[in-house]
Amino acid sequence: MYELYKRIPLLDFYIERLRAEPGFFGDWEVPMRYTSAIEEHLTIRTSVGFFDVSHMGRVLLRGPDVVPFIQYVYTRDLSRVKVGFMSGPTLALTELARVKDDEMLYKISDEDWLLVLNALAREKMLKYFKHIIEERKFKVEIYDLTEKYSMLAIQGPRSIEILDDLGAKWAVDLKPLEFRLNEEIAGVKIYLISRSGWTGEDGFEIWGEHGEIKRLLEVMLSKGIKPAGLIARDTLRIEMGFVLGDHEYGEDPSKFPCAVSLRYGMSAISWGKRGFIGEEALRTCRREGVKWIRVGLKISRDAGRLFPRKDSSVYVEDVYIGWVTSGCYSPVLNRGIAMAYIDSKYAILGEEVEVDIRGKRYLAKIVDFPFIKK
Amino acid sequence: MSLIEVKAKGKTYLVATDRRYTESDEWALLESSGVIRVGITDYAQKELKDIVAVELPEIGRIVKKGEEIGVIDSVKATSPYYAPISGKIISVNKELEKSPELLNKDPYGAGWIVVIEPTSINEYETLLKPEEYAEKLKKK
Repeated sequence: MYELYKRIPLLDFYIERLRAEPGFFGDWEVPMRYTSAIEEHLTIRTSVGFFDVSHMGRVLLRGPDVVPFIQYVYTRDLSRVKVGFMSGPTLALTELARVKDDEMLYKISDEDWLLVLNALAREKMLKYFKHIIEERKFKVEIYDLTEKYSMLAIQGPRSIEILDDLGAKWAVDLKPLEFRLNEEIAGVKIYLISRSGWTGEDGFEIWGEHGEIKRLLEVMLSKGIKPAGLIARDTLRIEMGFVLGDHEYGEDPSKFPCAVSLRYGMSAISWGKRGFIGEEALRTCRREGVKWIRVGLKISRDAGRLFPRKDSSVYVEDVYIGWVTSGCYSPVLNRGIAMAYIDSKYAILGEEVEVDIRGKRYLAKIVDFPFIKK
Repeated sequence: MSLIEVKAKGKTYLVATDRRYTESDEWALLESSGVIRVGITDYAQKELKDIVAVELPEIGRIVKKGEEIGVIDSVKATSPYYAPISGKIISVNKELEKSPELLNKDPYGAGWIVVIEPTSINEYETLLKPEEYAEKLKKK
């Protein structure tokens, strides 16, 4: 049967049990909001909440050539990752050093790695992997686990308390980026638990079969965990200065500058590493210096809570100096914030610029990431 | 002000009986001085939720019925609102600049947006009556 769109497996549960408002992210129907996006955002920052992120792609890579394959595809040096640890985020580039996707890897063994992809890039990346594997004759098999497991992200400073409450002391002792397979929490079988924190808060990701995840959720809800939707997820990532495909990065060189301009950080690029796709263009970009650079914009309080949207123009005096890639109201700072690419000549931290919000210009200050102190 | 409760989409929406409505979910209240106070309905504010900013039109602007006069920003979406009646904008709710959440808290009262001096009061009569608007909501 041809499907026009997919729904995350537990969507009906969220709608009926937690009054989720569903909406579309790409071709996935997901919970956009439960109560209020601002409340959900603040819950994650100050307490603990969960997101169902089952729309994100998850893939198992298996075979003797997995390491050469991922070393060829990604910009980060993955040769020394310890078994049982995640590595990333890292970038898959085009030959022109534009970003295809930013992804996380999990090393189960030399020959078995898990990969988390962005939902919108999943099909594209799977095709691309197959192409690379055939072309370079890598001995790698790919298993798409996306629809097999639900994935929850438990996020917030009180994440530990929730797991402690469930009697999973061992999970609380996981180091940052450490993961475990085939465990049990509160009598529920889970496939994977990892400790990372892509909202900028401490947190855990849990993968498991859909029915098991639903049982786990019932227990966690009884311990006071709150749901959070995709709108809050977006405002949380913007506050941290984390990037999103088709906003801060993309493959089209007429729309997106090279990956150096993205200033991804978090050691996503290992300059000491050789022989990955896009390397030549990336090094050229590095040697020549960048025309555009990604910065943060803190919108003046004169704008109230207004914020600029994607593609709004940025000016100094009467000179156009760049464009906004993402913007939102920051619940923590109680003002508008945005990310923008601006001409590197003008990228002076602390300087004032003007940004267009629906035809009116407002003052904004150039700042570094994250927008909030962590 | 008395209110009708309308149940639709598993939720309850309020409709004030003392005013008229548009298909695009604005209300218009004819005041004793002959001017029209305008805002968005309880349904509209519940759909938008998380309102963070309201863009207000200039005082003195001449508007036509159905013309976009400003936008309402919620956390991730921007929605326009429209003039329910032709005329001149004679007042805007400056309080909304500081407290846009008034739209969520009190859509039929403190969350009013503009006051229009109508060109012709006849246009007011063509707007939806509360019962008609309530029927529309049931079909949403």
